[in-house]
Amino acid sequence: MNLLKSELLKLIYQRRTWGLLVAAVLLGIVATVASLPAIERLGGNQLLALNTADGVDAIYAKALGGYIFALIIGVTIMSSEFHQHTAIATFLATPKRIRVVSTKVIVAAIAGGLMNVISAGAGLIGGKLALSTMKVAQPHSYIFVNYVLAALVIGVVMGIMGVAVGTLIRNQMAAVTSSLIWFMLIDRLLAAFWPEGGKYLPSGLITAMMNLHLNIQDKAIGFGLNTADYLDPIPAAGLMLVYGLVFTVIAVFTTLRRDID
Amino acid sequence: MSTEGNKTSIEFRNLVKKYKDVTAVNGLSAQIETGKITGFVGPNGAGKSTALRCLLGLAENTSGEALIDGAPYASLSSPLTKVGAVLDSSGFNQALTAHQNLAVICAAAGISTNRIDELLALVELSHARNKRTKGFSLGMKQRLSLAVALLGDPEILVLDEPANGLDPIGIAWLRDFLRALANQGKTILVSSHQLAEMQHTVDDVIIINHGTLVATGPISEVTGGQSLEEAFLRLIGAGA
Repeated sequence: MNLLKSELLKLIYQRRTWGLLVAAVLLGIVATVASLPAIERLGGNQLLALNTADGVDAIYAKALGGYIFALIIGVTIMSSEFHQHTAIATFLATPKRIRVVSTKVIVAAIAGGLMNVISAGAGLIGGKLALSTMKVAQPHSYIFVNYVLAALVIGVVMGIMGVAVGTLIRNQMAAVTSSLIWFMLIDRLLAAFWPEGGKYLPSGLITAMMNLHLNIQDKAIGFGLNTADYLDPIPAAGLMLVYGLVFTVIAVFTTLRRDID
Repeated sequence: MSTEGNKTSIEFRNLVKKYKDVTAVNGLSAQIETGKITGFVGPNGAGKSTALRCLLGLAENTSGEALIDGAPYASLSSPLTKVGAVLDSSGFNQALTAHQNLAVICAAAGISTNRIDELLALVELSHARNKRTKGFSLGMKQRLSLAVALLGDPEILVLDEPANGLDPIGIAWLRDFLRALANQGKTILVSSHQLAEMQHTVDDVIIINHGTLVATGPISEVTGGQSLEEAFLRLIGAGA
């Protein structure tokens, strides 16, 4: 409990934590509201329209876009120890490293989960307000609960993954940048160009957890998104948690083996 | 391990630490007696900091042992109440204030935060209590490091180059500070390459070179009437 309190204090004391939360909330709102014109344009192509529940679900799904900030908070929880050279004080106070890393994983899971739920909640409210001014279909009744639960699982796993990345890449800037490149670019490209494998990667699993029913093909650039073959939400959440477990093991073993300097 | 009247607080037993092909510490054996200030001296790269990191569980020994009261640091149940350490003056979260940095460590170690203000006063940093450490000078960071080391009111202090960044007044302050702590019965192991200063501060001395023990014992015996600097240069074979 002492260590948990210490790690929570580190998080609470830092302005960066609150800045990331504000950014996540803004992204959740902006992504949701700004997706309206895009979906409308797709509706014009008769692929997806706001007069269908699926189309409106897709608008609300954008509220979950803030998960990248849960990842960043996880990365910084670990990498800042090396960036600021506070790892020495941390491991002198608690020499059993497995306890330190386990506690950081727990704190990252709590912070990532909370941040993503708040961000998604703000995005859902923003979407609701924006859509209330338009003549659109009602979303499926389950999506609000589904999306909040999905946001929780995604935030928890992203926070944990962030800690693992922070242990593997001790340079904080490199750790954050490489995480962003992977999750915002490579992972999404793999999901688009290699759907058979991409659906098992985090982006594919996040889409699956939203339980969207989409089949969008962009003829101009030759790829799109068909969620018919994606996993169901619960197996997708389960696989996300397995990712979190694997990354926890990586974080623990990496920290146990290395000298602290 | 401990003998009556000559109790040992810290012991290196044939300690070896290798980094790939480089041997940083090569079979170091030495004992640090309770209640004394022991200087740990050697040229840059002699292996002083590596040996201290092994002692504190931050680096894994290749072989041998580094023990505190007969046990590895990692096995101490409440390490900060047994050992306080200053290893890296920049080791503070720069986004946090001096008080917040200490509070985080207190929380981790289960130590009351009541001591924080007392210690900040002791190291003459009360005025900087609520300032972020980002703006601290090296000397202020060294003083704050000493406050961290004393948080748990430990019996043993391990200090790696604590005089770095201190001006002459700060160095004089540190000398008196360490002597006052030793008079309270604390055991202090202090590494430094400021030999003239060490001569006025320590009771015993351990000299290492290339990771190997060169000499150890009471400073009067090791120096044999010479200054510590002269003896040091003679012992490591670098004298004129």
